[in-house]
Amino acid sequence: MTTDETNGEAVEETPPDTFEGTLWPDVNRALSAVDVRPERGALDLIVHLPRKDVIRGLGMLKHDDELHFDYLRSLTAVDNEDEGVDVVYHLYSVSKNHNLTVKTTLANEDKVLETATTVWQAANWLEREVAEMFGVTFNGHPDPRPLLMPEDVDLSDVHPLLKSHPFAEIDVLQGEGLGHDRDAPGDV
Amino acid sequence: MVVEAPSEFETQDLLINVGPQHPSTHGVFRMVLEIDGEVVKDLVPYIGYLHRGAEKLCENNDFRQGIGYMDRTEYLAAHNAELSYVMAVEALGEIEVPERAQWIRMILCELNRISSHFMFLGAFGIDVGVFGTPFIYAWRERETIIDLFEEISGDRMMYAYFRAGGLAWEVPANFENRVREVLASAQQGVKDFDGLLTENEIFIARTKGVGFISAEDAIEMGMSGPTIRASGVPLDIRKTEPYLFYDQLDFEPITANGGDVFDRYIVRLQEISQSIDLIGQCLERLQPGPITPERMPRMLRLPEGEAYIRTEAPRGEYGVYMVSKGGNKPHRLKVRSACLSNLQVLKQMSVGQYVADAIIILGSIDIVLSEVDR
Amino acid sequence: MSTEIFGIENVNVWVDGLIRVLLIVGFMTVVVMGLIYGERKILARFQQRLGPTRTGPMGLLQSVADALKLVGKEDLRPRNADPWTFELAPYLVFVPVFLGFVIVPFVLDWQIRILELGLLYFVAITGVNIVGWIMAGWGSDNRYAMIGGMRAAAQGISYELPLVLALVSVAMVVEVPLADGEVARGSLNLNEIVASQHEVPNIVWQPLVVVVFFIAGLAELNRTPFDIPVGESEVVGGPFVEYSGIRWSMFFLAEYAALLIMSLLFAAVFLGGWAWPAGIFTDEDWPRWAQALLVAGKASIFVFMVFWVRASVPRLRIDQLMGFSWKILLPLMLAQVMVNGLVLVYDWPEIILTVVGLIGIVALFAMVDRAVRQPRQRPASAAQLQSEAV
Repeated sequence: MTTDETNGEAVEETPPDTFEGTLWPDVNRALSAVDVRPERGALDLIVHLPRKDVIRGLGMLKHDDELHFDYLRSLTAVDNEDEGVDVVYHLYSVSKNHNLTVKTTLANEDKVLETATTVWQAANWLEREVAEMFGVTFNGHPDPRPLLMPEDVDLSDVHPLLKSHPFAEIDVLQGEGLGHDRDAPGDV
Repeated sequence: MVVEAPSEFETQDLLINVGPQHPSTHGVFRMVLEIDGEVVKDLVPYIGYLHRGAEKLCENNDFRQGIGYMDRTEYLAAHNAELSYVMAVEALGEIEVPERAQWIRMILCELNRISSHFMFLGAFGIDVGVFGTPFIYAWRERETIIDLFEEISGDRMMYAYFRAGGLAWEVPANFENRVREVLASAQQGVKDFDGLLTENEIFIARTKGVGFISAEDAIEMGMSGPTIRASGVPLDIRKTEPYLFYDQLDFEPITANGGDVFDRYIVRLQEISQSIDLIGQCLERLQPGPITPERMPRMLRLPEGEAYIRTEAPRGEYGVYMVSKGGNKPHRLKVRSACLSNLQVLKQMSVGQYVADAIIILGSIDIVLSEVDR
Repeated sequence: MSTEIFGIENVNVWVDGLIRVLLIVGFMTVVVMGLIYGERKILARFQQRLGPTRTGPMGLLQSVADALKLVGKEDLRPRNADPWTFELAPYLVFVPVFLGFVIVPFVLDWQIRILELGLLYFVAITGVNIVGWIMAGWGSDNRYAMIGGMRAAAQGISYELPLVLALVSVAMVVEVPLADGEVARGSLNLNEIVASQHEVPNIVWQPLVVVVFFIAGLAELNRTPFDIPVGESEVVGGPFVEYSGIRWSMFFLAEYAALLIMSLLFAAVFLGGWAWPAGIFTDEDWPRWAQALLVAGKASIFVFMVFWVRASVPRLRIDQLMGFSWKILLPLMLAQVMVNGLVLVYDWPEIILTVVGLIGIVALFAMVDRAVRQPRQRPASAAQLQSEAV
């Protein structure tokens, strides 16, 4: 169930996805105050929120009576190189047993976002990890220290999970890294 | 009640460093305790000693090589770790898995749950202070299970046995009999532990009322697994969002009401018995058949998309968030680690308790550092 | 002054004392090494494994190998450790334990010295090794060591009282036949205590005291379940964490020597030592070699129980440990002393002691059970403490 790619001929025949049967109607209602765009993921519904409304939207999702997303499953980020960094929140409701993924995109020059610890305490360490790995600054975080990186690494310019950070020095010697479709000498 | 010292004494709090090399921290984990006499006033955990960049490495390895990395992020329950990963690949690639492979996967994951919980019982016994007896009992049980795994996949701990679409190769011919032997021995092991620890007054005195966390706090902090079930929240992904064929099995999530260390121990002990029962049910439903789909491409290329697949690992919710942008490698692989989320709560549970309690509380969360640090 | 030893007449008392001391020290070293080996084997069997099997036949030379290794190690001292305190501490732990051997009755009329105040001497001398533990803890310049030392001191002092009261309640009712046919009651002389058990061992009259002596003895020996000073988060060695080589082996030997003394004392005071069951069959005592075997057998019962408990039971936290001593053991022992006194003064039949003792054991278990199952009051959290301080 992935988003269909637009290609020349097929687009007229695929009807626009109304997201029926997913949480979209309730989410749309709960987030009516903000700008939201849905998408289908493999298992859950994905909604995209603009950066300035993300925390407000998450708060609305948590406190909504029908949705009641009281459990933050995971908070992470994806580096889309030129398109910016996506911060992804996976939400779950213990009482209602449904899931939602919330995404927001940060431009590369301006990776600043409000902290989600005001909504769920679980975001604490997860945001620390995203901050050190992707260089995202979370405003208002109660404890902005690196989580996993060693103390002697200068974290102002080293963000390991960004695509611009080299994989390893051997990258230079072995091309694009390891794989089967490559015949370099010394191939395993 | 802790009594404040009279004001004419000037007392100082003591800063103690526990770890990273310490036999009780279950791996390289460091916490700095600020104690006043024997009471913990503050606790600051430091992690990252075992960070190996598994997520970044997986971005550069294709969908078959990544399975080995998943094993190593959770080496005590490697089958459960592999399961999330291969299920994510299957979800993105819309690959059908044959029934026999699903049942065998379930059996192996439950066996891994048993061995992981025995490991907890052994290490917890040492934390509480019994000299070595529970540890050896635990090892005795784990050896039978690990021997079985070695017969199946060739490896004792990092199996790399699951593949996207099924299993790597067929299980040995006497699989069912071996599994039944292992279950019989595990049942005896549960009885041994029960007899040794559960009714022991000193054990009860050490563990009851210690390290309390309420259900609301646990949900707020994103805890999962036996730790949150011991606080009364029936959150078991095998039941709430069934995967594989768990919806065909008959079981209820095991919960307890106290939310303290003793309840976490009891929940895990009972989960071993539950897993033994589940494996029995799976064995009844196991039929001969293929274990991989008919046409599996050797080099897997997945279409664009993303999936967040969560399964119930012994320690909690082990999730794999995979983003694919076409090609044979994931664009981003995020491992949602149960132990990391559970470990956040350590400070809240330990402040105000005694130093010896802080060690037990850490043991009861049952962390494995490779999953915390990845 | 002269005395006779081994049938040799007119030996100077100093020489005689020296010979006895050397004999005992030699004997004790061998036995302690045997105890270490025995513990490893017995614990291993409890844990379904084998223990030492390779060094020597059945692993019997394991202790010798360990001793040789320890002797060969470098003697380290932390730079900031106080030199006098750090280096004297092992002696203060080791020597009092050895001095305790002076009064232990091995067989009839064969001890290093027969003291009229034998039990008092024993209790006094074993109290000194607590000072050694504190010195080791403080002198090591290590926070873990200091915490361990403080815990050891608190525990040692707390459990002295029930131990002493246990011995007192036995000593009170001992029957000592006097020269003119009268019977005096009460003696601290260990030889007389053992001799008075010719027909019935003291365990029959004082069951509660036996249980309390066992528990307090475990605590004085710093053994599980009371090994929190040396179980500093479970393996870091408490006050001995900075010691290595010979100094550490002195602590280790002292621990097992104390175990040996405690077990011999237990055999002597409660199980009848060399006197019981000889008194049932004849009026005379058995030959010396039989007495030695008897004492060894009784002492090994105590030792085996200590090992058994170690393999089976978790350790108590320091506050639970102290609470147990002060709130449960001490009142029970005070009550026992009073009952013994009443029996002594009013000359009641001694069967009352047995009945009271058995009731006391039941009371002990009931009190422990109630204390354990009580909902535990959580110590104040940091936030609460802060708000109360304001």
